[in-house]
Amino acid sequence: MTNLEKLNQIFCEVYSVEESALNENFVNTNVETWDSIHQLSMVAAIEEAFDLMMDAEDILEMTSYENVKQLLTSKYEITF
Amino acid sequence: MFLELDRKDRQRIAAIDDSGRSLTYGDICDFSKEFAKYLPPRSLIFLLAENRIGSLLGYTASLSNRIVPLVISANTEEGLYGHLYDLYKPEYLWLPESKAEGKEVVFSAWEYCLVKTGNQATPMYEELSLLLPTSGSTGSPKLVRHSYRNIEANADNVRRLFKLDGTEKAMAILPMHYTMGLSVIASHLLAGATLLLSGRSLLDKGFWAMLKESTSFTGVPYSYEILTKMRFTRMDLPSLKVITQGGGKLTEAMWNTLAQYAKDNDKQFIATYGQSECTARMAYLPAELALDKVCSIGIAEPGGQLSIIDDNGNETFEGEAQGEMVYRGENVTLGYATCREDLLKGDENHGVIHTGDLARRDADGCYFIIGRLKRFLKIYGLRIGLDEVERMIKTEYKTDCYCKGDDEKLIVLVTDTKLLELLPSFIEEKTHLFHQRVEVQVVKEILRNEAGKVINQ
Repeated sequence: MTNLEKLNQIFCEVYSVEESALNENFVNTNVETWDSIHQLSMVAAIEEAFDLMMDAEDILEMTSYENVKQLLTSKYEITF
Repeated sequence: MFLELDRKDRQRIAAIDDSGRSLTYGDICDFSKEFAKYLPPRSLIFLLAENRIGSLLGYTASLSNRIVPLVISANTEEGLYGHLYDLYKPEYLWLPESKAEGKEVVFSAWEYCLVKTGNQATPMYEELSLLLPTSGSTGSPKLVRHSYRNIEANADNVRRLFKLDGTEKAMAILPMHYTMGLSVIASHLLAGATLLLSGRSLLDKGFWAMLKESTSFTGVPYSYEILTKMRFTRMDLPSLKVITQGGGKLTEAMWNTLAQYAKDNDKQFIATYGQSECTARMAYLPAELALDKVCSIGIAEPGGQLSIIDDNGNETFEGEAQGEMVYRGENVTLGYATCREDLLKGDENHGVIHTGDLARRDADGCYFIIGRLKRFLKIYGLRIGLDEVERMIKTEYKTDCYCKGDDEKLIVLVTDTKLLELLPSFIEEKTHLFHQRVEVQVVKEILRNEAGKVINQ
């Protein structure tokens, strides 16, 4: 599985959406189910899938699908 | 006036919300007078709550003017909202501007609107002050009926147990429609303190900025899971004096983390216990016992009394015992309502409540919850009524099912494999319980004994 496939699968499972919903509009303020419970579950799944530990301040930055991708690339060297 | 709001320093800040705006005690009093011009005392009003100033003012103004609010989340699922509306037929609504479109708005302030529905008035018991759903989530129209004295007794008990005064700045993140959320609000207003009212996610930067200013934080077990994930124990939070918890049981590991953190950083960790049937708080463990009495709910709060009724029906107030825990106090609510006519009912509990929780009392008089007699789970502080979830599934899918579980996970037994995929998202939609905490198991048959009790547990 590619990194993108892994990440998309996590988003689809956590937020119960189809892959086609994952675009620049997938932002915490637009996604009804995106609350702290879902976000933390997403973080846990990402940490496990990519074998990393995220910094607390980075978790606060994970406010959209695009943000998550950018952050993983810039700080954790995961390329998509 | 309600909570002696008119006897505080008018200039003192009562609340600050996520918008950054603040509200003084004087503003609260003035707003109450203004509000009273638009609706008569003993009106029934639905308060669609969000944790912000407009919502708070609807609450204080209603209670101050003997208007009776039913407080529910502004995000209440449509089906449940419609059900409550049809059942109780409120004469007024106090709701966020964004939800008032197309309705007859008679007054608005702080991005909240007062809407007149056209429903007729209904007679209500004269001491009835407030209605709250028993489980905000599982679609039950069953409400808890509070008296004016209940709210004041709870506020005063909590004020005394935390020794609150006007210098406090309480982080108020628990939802207003949640009994503990209202308890934080009422107790701090009674003390003349400042509420830091936030509807933000605990994973929002704004929340952390507010937390740095606060003197106390009240959370449910899940709040502390987030806080520890964010490694708050390593943060510099000099203002924070008290961390307190209610809404279910912490794990032993989490308990020890919090108790040790408090000890090492010169803070207090105070665990509490309560139910919406008793206007939130009922028991607390004094901070100095946190490391000795792990996972204990402690002793009755000031103004309350706990006891245990053992298997032989003997009630005792001290010494070691095990059995159903019973509470007495002025915060024991009047009873339930399941229809509009019930709003006329008086006090059915008479200050005594059988909690439905099994408890053990140790030789020092500290109580420990060891089980539950009633069929509900508490996950993320959400009270999930098992009978109600079963009823929802049966109605929607016309199939037999059985719910069980613990405070980590809801388990649903079904016979139809099709439901394996459908149920988690259905339950999340209806109850807001995160779908990954729902486990569906397919069984051949749901076996019941002659009494109708499910036996393949």
